[in-house]
Amino acid sequence: MSIAHAIQSIGFLTDFRESALVYPVVMSTHLTCIAVFGGMILMTDLRLLGVAMTDRSISEVVSKFRLWKRVGFCIMVTAGLLLASSEAEKYSPNPFFWAKLTFLALIGIHALIFRPLVYNNTAELDKSPAIPSRAKLAGALSLFLWFGVLTFGRLIGYYEGPGSPGNQGAKSAAAIALPASHRASVERYAVR
Amino acid sequence: MILQVTNPLNSSELIFPTLECIHIAGFALSVGTIAIVDFRLLGLGMNHQSTAEVAADLAPWTLLGLVVMLTSGPLLFSSDPDMYYLNWVFDLKMVLLLLAIIFNYTIRRKTAYSGKSGTRAKVVACVSITLWVGVVFGGIFLAFI
Repeated sequence: MSIAHAIQSIGFLTDFRESALVYPVVMSTHLTCIAVFGGMILMTDLRLLGVAMTDRSISEVVSKFRLWKRVGFCIMVTAGLLLASSEAEKYSPNPFFWAKLTFLALIGIHALIFRPLVYNNTAELDKSPAIPSRAKLAGALSLFLWFGVLTFGRLIGYYEGPGSPGNQGAKSAAAIALPASHRASVERYAVR
Repeated sequence: MILQVTNPLNSSELIFPTLECIHIAGFALSVGTIAIVDFRLLGLGMNHQSTAEVAADLAPWTLLGLVVMLTSGPLLFSSDPDMYYLNWVFDLKMVLLLLAIIFNYTIRRKTAYSGKSGTRAKVVACVSITLWVGVVFGGIFLAFI
């Protein structure tokens, strides 16, 4: 816990966490990257499965989205690191946070295995009359792993355990007077 | 006597986060595919194909994403309408969403299928991206107001 406290006490991270504007802007940026670049991951995986964009070759789809996926990944990770480190004390005991990191590590392993077999080998995949099963496996696993990251990422905000006093940035529950029956769901929504 | 109506969506702790994940996946599909066409309009990728081809390829996926998003969204809203309609950011988000959808199926669609590039096409792409990013930002900011 003390390491987590030390991390989030770093000057600019404290300022970041307490900022009513910068914190949600970075969170929105994180989500925008999920929308724009997550969509490209989705389309690549669906192409590998032979479901979407079948008029285009696998080579085309993989190579066209590659640069953008990388740019998006970098922004997404930067934003994510800021969000997590500024709330290190809240995140470190959160099992969903660790589940998300585990899935991200699995995505790294997925890349190590399938990059040489599939993503850097698309010309050969296109030559084959049917989509080879290793390409379909890569697409299906990628979909599963990214949905896992998405789900655990969203669940981080729902964990109520030691060291989760609530997000200082999110004030909607306090700002709007609501019946108690409604407040629970507002808090649920606000504490991310 | 007041009739007590309980929204079944509030009956389980898991329904709301599950719907949120579906909502996020839905807008990743719709906004993601829209962004691919916008990037093409800006000349920033997929330059071997015409914008019309890219747009035609992706249109059904954009629509599917929109359907998922516009189904899960109102369900999320229904879990706690008071919180949302008392929230000016939510109103702004809805206005931006409406504009974004109308723009998408009118001006932007025409531009994408016309095969024209140039300043006009680039402005259309920028407006489209700005509107959709605005919708995403609205979704986060409504919890911080």
